[in-house]
Amino acid sequence: MISLSSPVRTWAHGWRAGTKLAALCVATMLLFVIGNIGFQAAAFAFALLLYCLPGMVFLREGLGHLRVLIPFVVIVLIWHLVTGDPAGGIKTIMRMVTAVALANLVTMTTSLTALMDVVRWMSSPLRRLGVSTAPLEIVLPLLIRFVPVLTLRAGQMHQSWRARSLRRANYRIVLPMMLMALDDADRVGEALKARGGALPEQEN
Amino acid sequence: MEKDLARIALFAALIAILGLIPAITLGFGVPITAQSLGVMLAGAVLGSRQGGLAVLLFVFAAALGLPLLAGGRGGLGVFASPTVGFVVGFPVAAFVTGLVVEKLHRLPPGVNAGIGAFIGGIVVMYAFGTIGMAIVLNKSLTEAALLNSAFVLGDLLKAGLCGMLVAAIARLRPQMLPWYRAPVSHIFR
Amino acid sequence: MAISSADSPVLLEDVGYRINDMPVLAGVSVRSEAMRIGVIGRNGSGKSTLARLIAGLLEPSEGQIRIEGVDVYKDRRAAIRTVGILFQNPEHQIIFPTVGEEIGFGLRQLGASKADAVTGTQKVLAQFGKAHWQDAPIHALSQGQKHLVCMMSVLAMRPRLLVLDEPFAGLDIPTRMQLTRHLNDAGTRLLHITHDTRDLEEYDQVFWLDRGHLRASGVARQVLQDFTQEMVRIGGGDDLSLLAG
Repeated sequence: MISLSSPVRTWAHGWRAGTKLAALCVATMLLFVIGNIGFQAAAFAFALLLYCLPGMVFLREGLGHLRVLIPFVVIVLIWHLVTGDPAGGIKTIMRMVTAVALANLVTMTTSLTALMDVVRWMSSPLRRLGVSTAPLEIVLPLLIRFVPVLTLRAGQMHQSWRARSLRRANYRIVLPMMLMALDDADRVGEALKARGGALPEQEN
Repeated sequence: MEKDLARIALFAALIAILGLIPAITLGFGVPITAQSLGVMLAGAVLGSRQGGLAVLLFVFAAALGLPLLAGGRGGLGVFASPTVGFVVGFPVAAFVTGLVVEKLHRLPPGVNAGIGAFIGGIVVMYAFGTIGMAIVLNKSLTEAALLNSAFVLGDLLKAGLCGMLVAAIARLRPQMLPWYRAPVSHIFR
Repeated sequence: MAISSADSPVLLEDVGYRINDMPVLAGVSVRSEAMRIGVIGRNGSGKSTLARLIAGLLEPSEGQIRIEGVDVYKDRRAAIRTVGILFQNPEHQIIFPTVGEEIGFGLRQLGASKADAVTGTQKVLAQFGKAHWQDAPIHALSQGQKHLVCMMSVLAMRPRLLVLDEPFAGLDIPTRMQLTRHLNDAGTRLLHITHDTRDLEEYDQVFWLDRGHLRASGVARQVLQDFTQEMVRIGGGDDLSLLAG
């Protein structure tokens, strides 16, 4: 399955995932605490610099991920022009874009496995309290595996609709898709049980 | 136990797929994606606990960088963008939807699901969404609520759809709804 | 009714199974030492239910099931070392996104450490001549390849009995032949449940399941011949019209 990872390998790929996440937390907090427009502008420029360093391919991909913010940029700009506070609008926009850009940067340069390791490390106190985190190690891979499977089936259902109807498939296709997913879940649960799915973890 | 895990994972996958379906354009031109419908359905079909967990898993996987949110979005950036409140509110919305559906299990199954979807999927969801947007865009709650109000109509329709779909499941496969006690005549097909 | 573990490796005593008081299976007794056991029956004869009972996924409503002396429903920890099951649709069986993770899961379930599971997985893949499959994504595999992944994942756990619930339905002849060869090479006792007589021609002992009851059992040739005759007879009529319930 496609994830939002970077098309090129960057220096940041080598950093520890935990360090990157901690740095992201601190940076986001500072962005929301320090209201100074000079600081916001500097942070914005810094984030842009980080995107430029790995080269053009990375920059284009990275900016592509920020496109979803355009409607909000437009709304905030218009809003602040109407209320006569353009400086405040620019500040809000810079803060939002910088925060999202930095967070995307961590996602783009950190593998899913590395992030899962951080999650496992952070949840270790839970395990010490006797809460099993093993189910997470089953449901997450299952989710990742079934997104393409269900997408394919939804496509087949869509075709079967089109083959017999002049109208485009509408919300009515949601019902069979849901029944299919629930039926699949029962079968998968069975197969999981056949291989000892939810047995309590054994000590080695 | 294994079936519960599988249901949680597969419903989370279903919510992702509903976000991939290109926005269904309703008669009067409001484009909506079916993702928030998926959140409502998770609560209404699986119940509060499993439904909440399914949506929590979905949000967690999106946070790890899987492009599961409507339009193929995902990653930590989602949690810094103006829609953060909605995403954080997803699991709570599903949980509350399920809770209402379970409390009202004596009503006809479509009716309780519609009410549940309204309270969980709209009231709770917009409360979270508005707070998130107010913080990120540095606006007052009233201003943020005004910005969000454009989408309420679509979500009202989705709550209605959620009710209709749950009514259909109750008729076709009553045993799939853990909170539903089918009338005796339904047990034998 | 006490059953000693010294008895047959596959032992079903008067097993029945009901859904909402509707009997799906009744009075099924099987006792076999054969290495290749077949169960033949039509769609809806209770075959899949029988497969799930023998794999310990369902609890029998009556009677007892012992595989190698293990109560496979109650003692799950022993059961996953004793019985493996291959389902018809590999999509319903594969849990993980890559081949290596899928095979490693079963080994971890048996208590192997993470490192041991990785070496174990590589060993299994090498045995099947598929060492290069380790990191292959499941969704890129063909249907036959997915079946083989399921087979490797189950055999990696070294079950003493492998239950096959129509795993070859819908596969082409070369794929079928290759999968059959892998199965025979595994050296595991097989219990193959199917509606297709071709699957069971070489089997040692065959049971015929008809509407939830055992109708006949014996050497493959005789049972399969009787079964085919009966199927052709029914096929000449119109029992599709009948609605259940």
